[in-house]
Amino acid sequence: MSRATRYVAPVVGLVVFFAAWELLVRALDIRPFVLTRPSQIVRYMFRFPHDYFRAALITMKHAALGFAIAVVVALVIGAAMAASRFIEYATQPVLTLIAVTPFAAYIASVKIGLGVFSDKPVVFIVALVSLPAFAFAAADGMRGADPSSRELLASVDASRWEVLWHLRMPSALPALFTAAKYNVGLALVVAYLAEGGTGGLGQIGSRAIAGNQGDRLWAAILSMAILGTISLILLNVLQRAVMGWHVSQRSDDG
Amino acid sequence: MIAPGRRPYTPANVGTWATMTAAVSLRGLEKSFGALETIAGVDLEIEAGSFVSLIGPSGCGKSTLLRIVAGLETPSGGQVLVDGEPAVSARRHKRVAMVPQHPGLLPWRSVRANARLLLDVNSKANGPTTKDPIELLERVGLGSFLDAHPHELSGGMQQRVALVRALALGAPLLAMDEPLAALDEITRAEMRGLLNQLVEGHNVTTLFVTHSISEAVALSDRVLVSSPRPARIVADIPIDLSRPRPDDVDDDAHFFDLCTQVRHALLKGAE
Repeated sequence: MSRATRYVAPVVGLVVFFAAWELLVRALDIRPFVLTRPSQIVRYMFRFPHDYFRAALITMKHAALGFAIAVVVALVIGAAMAASRFIEYATQPVLTLIAVTPFAAYIASVKIGLGVFSDKPVVFIVALVSLPAFAFAAADGMRGADPSSRELLASVDASRWEVLWHLRMPSALPALFTAAKYNVGLALVVAYLAEGGTGGLGQIGSRAIAGNQGDRLWAAILSMAILGTISLILLNVLQRAVMGWHVSQRSDDG
Repeated sequence: MIAPGRRPYTPANVGTWATMTAAVSLRGLEKSFGALETIAGVDLEIEAGSFVSLIGPSGCGKSTLLRIVAGLETPSGGQVLVDGEPAVSARRHKRVAMVPQHPGLLPWRSVRANARLLLDVNSKANGPTTKDPIELLERVGLGSFLDAHPHELSGGMQQRVALVRALALGAPLLAMDEPLAALDEITRAEMRGLLNQLVEGHNVTTLFVTHSISEAVALSDRVLVSSPRPARIVADIPIDLSRPRPDDVDDDAHFFDLCTQVRHALLKGAE
């Protein structure tokens, strides 16, 4: 496949998608609150570009901070799980519980506990919801480190920290990036739903629902989609930069 | 011509070898995994600076013996001394350099970084005899691949990096576990020549585990033949080929005689 095709094909796909959406709404005369036309959404966004840009930055900050905290905590938990079967078995049910409990159910409680108008509950919930996938990925990746390399490091009496730093952590990178790609959308959704009183696209969305403003709501939704796409692109760029050695990152042109 | 610090091992000097400083000394070595007896009473002295191969049938316990010498496995009985200290202590002091069967290069590290991996960890135990890995890489023909990553190298090149990684430690004992087994015939022959060049004249003791009779004879001063599991040394064959060994050593008629001797010992041990 040529390089041009690789870039042109996605654009064609998106143009067809938005054109079909526009035509469907016009043809079926769908109410704006149910589904607003893309042209109308864009027009609304360009009426208040600063509001949406500022709100998008706030949502991005919430998601990115929560994401980063989840990665750091997951690396610690993952390393402990990879090092000790007891810790793994003790941690697994807690992580599973976090993963299966619908976060929407406890958003209000956390916000009351940490401050309704504060960023803290939003960041906390994003970190909490992102944690299980990162922790399981970190543990699996670290445990899967090449046994012959582990033995090689043992043959010179490498410390646990050295094994973690030189072998286990880099071995966990592929699994961590896979988890990150799954978590990036989730983190944005959680941030959106937990916002309200803190600024952010979630606040615009909830106010639009309360005010029955379809175009305002759909402008927030489209902003979230753009934010998610940018986040994924950034994640891919980061992955290519730190994992250029991995088979998944090598060019398939050859 | 014999390289400095080395001399051929011949039946005539066997007695004197035993009284010289042993780099590796095994006394009544035993190892069992549960009910499975893997090594049954091995006594062995390896003289400092010699190249000794251990050959035996698959699963006979050769690699286990090597891992015990490297301090990675605890024996069930007997004593293991490496350079005069217990194997576990020798491992802590980085007195043993391992070359595993698979190169075990870290894919995220460049050739240069892989070559210095064993120097980077537990660095306080690095001795005064450590060698410059870049210099060694240049010596093995990888000077123009310093910034390459393992996936950009052939199997033979990867194994050369693994060899440099071990030699850079400057450890008195090189423990090699079938390092050439995964290579094609031509690369094996090249690596054999390279190994001879690298260890000759460096006063490094090498314990080399292999399946290949010709490899063992071409490289070694002594070939130890193991019985099927549980491992016992059933023959200790001196290899009196001159050093440095030419690349075409396997064309020598005496080389064939020695290979035949090792093969017969292997067959006899299996009876």
